[in-house]
Amino acid sequence: MGKNHLGEFEEIVMLTVAILHGEAYGVAIIEEMESRLNRTVSIGSLQVVLKRLEQKGYVSSEFGEATNIRGGKRKRFFTLTNLGKGLLKTSRDQRLSLWDAAPDYALKAISI
Amino acid sequence: MKSQTNISPPTLWLKFFRWFCRPEYAEDLEGDILERFDERLEKHSRSKAKRLFILDVLRLLRPGLVKKIEGNQSLNNYGMFKNYFKTARRNLLRQKTYSIIKIGGFALGIAVCLLISLFIKDEFSYDQHIPDKENLFMAVRGYNENGNIEKYTWFPSPYANAILEDYPEVIQSGKMIFSEGFGAGNANIRKASEVTNYYEDGFAFASQSIMEIFNYPMVYGDAKNALKEPNSIILTKRKADLLFPGVNPVGEVVVIDDNTEAPYMIGGVMEDLPANSTVKFNYLRSLEDYRFWDGEDKSWGSNNYQVFVKLLPNTNLNELIPKLKYIDEKYLLPEYLEAGYSDAEEAIETMSTSLLPIADLHLKSADIGDPFEKSDIKIVRIFGLIALFILGLACINFINLSTAKSANRAKEVGLRKTIGSTKKHLITQFLTESILYSLLSFALAIGISSLLLPYFNQLAAKSLYLPWSSYWFVPILALGSLLIGLIAGLYPAFYLSSFRPAAVLKGKLSMGSKSSKLRNSLVVFQFTASIILIIGTFVVSKQMQYILNKKVGFNKDQVILVQSPYLLGDNLEAFKNALRTIPEVKSTSYTNYLPISGANQNGNVWWNDGRTKIDASISGQNWIIDHEYIETLGMNLIDGRNFSRELRTDSAAMIINETMAKQLGIADSPLGQRITNRSSNRLIYTVIGVVEDFHFQSLTAPVGALAMRLGKNYVTASVKLNTNNLSATTAQIQHIWDEMAPGQPFIYEFLDQRFGNMYSETIRTRNILTSFSMLAVIIACLGLFGLSVFMVEQRGKEISVRRALGAKMSQIIQMLGMNFMKPIFLALLLAIPVAWYIMKGWLNGFEYNTGLSVSLFAFAGLTALSIALITISFQSIKAGLTNPVDGLRNE
Repeated sequence: MGKNHLGEFEEIVMLTVAILHGEAYGVAIIEEMESRLNRTVSIGSLQVVLKRLEQKGYVSSEFGEATNIRGGKRKRFFTLTNLGKGLLKTSRDQRLSLWDAAPDYALKAISI
Repeated sequence: MKSQTNISPPTLWLKFFRWFCRPEYAEDLEGDILERFDERLEKHSRSKAKRLFILDVLRLLRPGLVKKIEGNQSLNNYGMFKNYFKTARRNLLRQKTYSIIKIGGFALGIAVCLLISLFIKDEFSYDQHIPDKENLFMAVRGYNENGNIEKYTWFPSPYANAILEDYPEVIQSGKMIFSEGFGAGNANIRKASEVTNYYEDGFAFASQSIMEIFNYPMVYGDAKNALKEPNSIILTKRKADLLFPGVNPVGEVVVIDDNTEAPYMIGGVMEDLPANSTVKFNYLRSLEDYRFWDGEDKSWGSNNYQVFVKLLPNTNLNELIPKLKYIDEKYLLPEYLEAGYSDAEEAIETMSTSLLPIADLHLKSADIGDPFEKSDIKIVRIFGLIALFILGLACINFINLSTAKSANRAKEVGLRKTIGSTKKHLITQFLTESILYSLLSFALAIGISSLLLPYFNQLAAKSLYLPWSSYWFVPILALGSLLIGLIAGLYPAFYLSSFRPAAVLKGKLSMGSKSSKLRNSLVVFQFTASIILIIGTFVVSKQMQYILNKKVGFNKDQVILVQSPYLLGDNLEAFKNALRTIPEVKSTSYTNYLPISGANQNGNVWWNDGRTKIDASISGQNWIIDHEYIETLGMNLIDGRNFSRELRTDSAAMIINETMAKQLGIADSPLGQRITNRSSNRLIYTVIGVVEDFHFQSLTAPVGALAMRLGKNYVTASVKLNTNNLSATTAQIQHIWDEMAPGQPFIYEFLDQRFGNMYSETIRTRNILTSFSMLAVIIACLGLFGLSVFMVEQRGKEISVRRALGAKMSQIIQMLGMNFMKPIFLALLLAIPVAWYIMKGWLNGFEYNTGLSVSLFAFAGLTALSIALITISFQSIKAGLTNPVDGLRNE
């Protein structure tokens, strides 16, 4: 468990990659995160996380076709690997089991 | 679509991004930032889009995205260095013999160099710690003897005061005494309240101002008045701890040489002098109000004091020194004239006085007579030269072995070139390799030198250590290893990197023979240097042998010197008589006038009686001896008789040596001649005997004139023994001593050892020289050995074929040997004239020398040749012994 621990940002990035399924490249991921989570992300911080996830084997990447937008540069598309998918599921299950175990009244917000 | 064609992102920042970004990520990241830029152009103003673009670029500056420092060929080639190290390591391990010779020889050379550097550094550090040393000087008097300026540092008692009073440039002056004849040197010391004496060394006399001139740091007491009181004494910390452990002894009373009438009060304790001080002592007795004889403080005729002065800062020495002559004219000349000397003005004329900077005292005063143990800058330079020589030899080994083994690397070079290495890459590779070797050698050298240091310290009478704690030591070592690695590796690097790949890969390169000319000339150089060192060592050893065994005119064997017989008090005669009852004791003599340095010497000037105002004086020693002196020291009376106890008139009799008889012009009939000297109470002596000349000074000087008269001097007792069991007899003597002088230390030395001590500096130089030349020869032989291994390897097939066809072992050895003997013969031819020239100069420093003989050179040459031959034949014999089949099988 400890070895395969995912950081919060890492988990979000992986989930976003999953949302974009097949269309997940740098700018798309950022825009998706910005629109869904209302959270600004720089290319730098995203790329560092993506490289790390790729190194750990949770995502894989490949180049797409070159187009004449983006200065003719190819996009790098990210997809989840099976390892990554499994990890996400484990992560979700663990959270849910924690939610289930916690009594309702403990999580009930007190109105201010 | 329109906007992106018109408006481009900031070019400079884009270029910056392209420069720092890892190439594997560059494409998609550039695409990303460009896409975002385009999007922003639609939403925001141009300038904002540009600003955000710059921000994006800056935010990409992250460790994971920036180029790795070692990763990219275009940025640098550190990756290649990894490979160089790997190749170097493999080569090192594959050829163990070569590696050991290469690194071992290198390390040995560096270790020697390191030791000598420490030695030289120590020599140069002498007296540099003295505060205000720029303004401190020692007075030096020159006597012009027929154009030769003889320099001494002994001055009359009033000189120090006169120079202070008469010259405003002199702001402080002080005097010291180191002569044994005045009680300096060794003495007995005890607490006034106790009986037991300690026999101690390092006594000296000094005036109070010496403490201020040298500004010695004090432990107890005040430097400003520690010696102010007459009969006060200063101890160094170490000695204070010996007598008064753990307490402040200022004010305590001590007795020196059992003289209870004049006890000494301790005026202060000073820090121990640093080991690198030339002016050394352990005890300082005050000279304030101290007279060794009545009227001494007014007498200008008797030179016994070292004079130190402190000058005003920035004093012009060139102006001051000529003016110092007036002192002699003002004070000394009147005294001479009053005494009515005929040559008074000429005598003054020959004198001159100069000032020696205190910082030069240790190294640059070899021609000046003084009581200090000094070194000679010449010796230091010679050692430095030897260090460079040895380092050169080690570097040459490295070059020779590297180029010799080039054949093994040739294919590697060819291959590297084929797959794209340039010459520059290869040079870098081989330099890296040699620096690696050099680093290894330095590490090994530090090990070797720490092992050798204790022995070297013993050899050089020093206490050197590796200065790890000094901030410069490690950087210097690092820099040194880099530099030496570069120097040694430069030629092999260029040589190896210039192979032509096609030729090499086809196997056309003749195996390493291309540079054999250079190798041979380097071998010639190595052996020339080694042979010069061998010859030098032989000459120095032979000269030492000659001096130590030269007939010196007295018998120095089996004589023991018992110190301080005055401690016997009333038992002096009884002790002499008691010793006579021991059958192994031949005779005993009380006097400290001995023909060895460190004993009393007392220079006077002499005339034939009645001619003081007519003739020029001659200088000669005036010694006090007793009746048994000539017998005890085995001197040879060639005319006349010894002193006799029966004749009362012998108190005014003299025995002179041959040289004196000759110089006074009375050699024909010396007996009965009357002679006189220039002392205040001038006496006239009758010559009753002539002794054969004996050497009473170091053999660097000719025998001078000498006169001996009867007198009392109980500083040393010389006892002549006739036994093979010295220790038993000595024990017997000690037994008698203990009875007659209870509680007093029985200290004795052997005359021949003291005699040997006169040459300890020369002997030390010889020993160091011998060790270094041995090391030089070892290093040269290592190189030769390496080359012979290589040669045998290269010609292995040839030797096998010859053997198979019936060549004898001796023929093989001869064939291989001749190859190496040629350069060594050449080296011999080159070395002999150089060595002859150098050693001739050295020997000229000795009045009595062995000279240089052909046999000496022949012997040295033969030694070098045989050492070389043995080195080579080791491999040749091995080659001859191998079964030819082994050499030919792998065709």
